[in-house]
Amino acid sequence: MLSSSVALREAFNVYPWLLTAHVVTTTIFAGLIIMMDLRLAGIGNLSTPFVQTQKRLFPWQMATMGLSTLTGGLLFYGDPMRFYPNFYFWLKMLLMVLAGVNAFVFHMTVYERALARIEAKITEARSWVSWNFSGLVPFEARVAGLLSLVLWASIIITGRMIAYSALVPQWWLDLGLS
Amino acid sequence: MDLLPFFQWLTGIPLSQYFLSHTWAAPIAQVIHLVAVAVFIGALAIVDMRMLGRGLTSRPLSDIARDAQPWLIGGFLVLFITGFPQLTSTALKQYYSPFFWWKMEALVIGLIFTFTVRRRVAMTDEALLGPVLPKVVGILSLAIWTSVTIGARLIGLMG
Repeated sequence: MLSSSVALREAFNVYPWLLTAHVVTTTIFAGLIIMMDLRLAGIGNLSTPFVQTQKRLFPWQMATMGLSTLTGGLLFYGDPMRFYPNFYFWLKMLLMVLAGVNAFVFHMTVYERALARIEAKITEARSWVSWNFSGLVPFEARVAGLLSLVLWASIIITGRMIAYSALVPQWWLDLGLS
Repeated sequence: MDLLPFFQWLTGIPLSQYFLSHTWAAPIAQVIHLVAVAVFIGALAIVDMRMLGRGLTSRPLSDIARDAQPWLIGGFLVLFITGFPQLTSTALKQYYSPFFWWKMEALVIGLIFTFTVRRRVAMTDEALLGPVLPKVVGILSLAIWTSVTIGARLIGLMG
């Protein structure tokens, strides 16, 4: 048992303020991700080209993700045994890995191909008619955007549900982690 | 004017009773509420950041604001619908929480500010606004709505 972990958990009001900081930074982070995903899925924010949305929001998404991860990490460090037996905690962690994989795969494959396709279309038609400048989004990009929206909504949901450690499937309780 | 009788009455309405007697009602309302917070804050932040000259700077402010508006208003409606039963079913706890009143005061200020000054600035041609006004409005908007979030989270944590 690390003494700094105990100190963090027991320090007067540090834990509530840390949790508040986690919620504030996470909602800004998730909000910026959602605004980009809506554009990617062709649902909203259509007056800004996707490439601009991605490029200009990216540093802010990374900064707020850093703060969110830091506060979340400290929450875990301060009271690990609260989270270890928690069903929603592990589900949330899994979903975050999936969201990361989705973003990575999109960036490495769909995004590059879509950019190449935009280039080709511009050259071919000598016009700016491409998905980047309209709501006409390639199918794969739409899938990546929708998938990210669903994943991040689920991450917020499971994060909130960590507070309901008993409202879980019976098989989880049968594992006897707590 | 003492609102205590009103809050006592809220606890007894059928909606509150439904929420108190169904295990899943509160958590479902809470998770939808929190997803709506992210949508609302996202729609708010891209416009406030644009006012501060950050983020989506490649397009005019009014374009960004017009795109964000349905998500801002839609997000708020969902927040209201999912927040209302949570308030009524725990009305006495809310009444005695200083953070509830903090949240509600900031919320009223935020709503008035967002749909008057901020809306006006967001829809005006930037050339007419000068460099200072949009920055002040953007900072104020982020500060007010962040204080709503902070007050809200502390109701559950510190009473």
